[in-house]
Amino acid sequence: MTSFRPPLPPEVDSLLDHERDISPLPAAVRARSLARARAALVAGAGRSSSRPMTAPRRMRWAAAAALVCVGGAAIGAVAYEVRVRLIKEPAARPAARSVASVATKPAPTALAEAPMAEGPVADAPTTAPDTHAAPRLSRADAARAELRLLKQARAAVARENYAAAMPPIAEHGRRFKDGRLAEEREALRVKALAGLGRTDEAQRAAAAFRARFPRSVLLPAVGRMPARER
Amino acid sequence: MSGVAVSHLRLVSAPPPRPSPDEACLDAFQRELDYVFRTLRRLGTAPGEVEDLAQEVFLALRGAWAEYDAERPLRPYLFGIAFRIASAHQRKRNREVSFGVIDVGDSGPGPDAALERKQARVLVLAALERIPLPRRAVLVMHDIDDVPVTQVATVLKIPMFTVYSRLRKARRELEAALRRIVKETNTR
Repeated sequence: MTSFRPPLPPEVDSLLDHERDISPLPAAVRARSLARARAALVAGAGRSSSRPMTAPRRMRWAAAAALVCVGGAAIGAVAYEVRVRLIKEPAARPAARSVASVATKPAPTALAEAPMAEGPVADAPTTAPDTHAAPRLSRADAARAELRLLKQARAAVARENYAAAMPPIAEHGRRFKDGRLAEEREALRVKALAGLGRTDEAQRAAAAFRARFPRSVLLPAVGRMPARER
Repeated sequence: MSGVAVSHLRLVSAPPPRPSPDEACLDAFQRELDYVFRTLRRLGTAPGEVEDLAQEVFLALRGAWAEYDAERPLRPYLFGIAFRIASAHQRKRNREVSFGVIDVGDSGPGPDAALERKQARVLVLAALERIPLPRRAVLVMHDIDDVPVTQVATVLKIPMFTVYSRLRKARRELEAALRRIVKETNTR
């Protein structure tokens, strides 16, 4: 056979020469091995797999891959479930809190807003299912909904129709208690209450605003409003 | 009519009965049994385990017999099977077993063989034992079994350049191992 012959030292090559000759096995060993091979043939062993060395290994790899896939899917499902629950919880909490506060100590704003269910968003308080629909909103949708409500409130305040400003403010407070525009909402609430002549409530709202947003850029305006409107 | 047909059939010499695949496989194994044993020893299988591993080689050969191309030489094919089985066995043992210089249980030539020859083979086996199996397989195939590099690459499923590099390194290791063993033997 053609091969590139190594430049092995002669003594090593002569040693390998001895190893190149394959001497016959002892007769007993040969007979025993062949008998075992025949017995294996009769027993039908070794026929099932065409590659006995590789097939079990592949099976193991396939089983491991399947396990990883199943495990990954299970983890994904659990993570999804946890995420859904986490999203639902914050939405349920404000609703529960507002119910509790109404039951124990009627908040001035809640009482004030109840008779004002008129104006542009007069039917907003009836949209109870919205509290459940809110968590399903994407971030962008939630931001749009917040903006829409506060635009209505701001427009009403600008028209000095303070009564019309209260329902969208209340709805925003219910749906987006800690929303991105909460600061803006509370400022509008102070202005609307002051505009309605509910000075005490306006002052309480202004105090709450200062406590909640101590660094707000709207703070000077909020501080002035109750006194000015009075 | 039927008489003519019978005489005609009798005139045509019937083809010799083809052996079944199992018989053909057993025949091939029987022919190469010495080679299988010796290869397993060269690949580092302990003398007491060679018979069992040879049996595994037969079972693997039988399992793959349908895929074997009879036009190709059988020995490199058997070497590939023996190499995989010996490697798996070595992984299972998870440790190198040094047979030492004196190999009492060697199932090679009997006591009638020349002492020098036997010692040389023992020396080579001991030196081979000190070469890592992947490189040892290349060295045994190419330098002892005289298998061309291209075929070594095919059987061991490695690139040609890998064969060359393994061979170069294995030769250096063989020389070093032989020198070390001789030195150790002389100092005893």
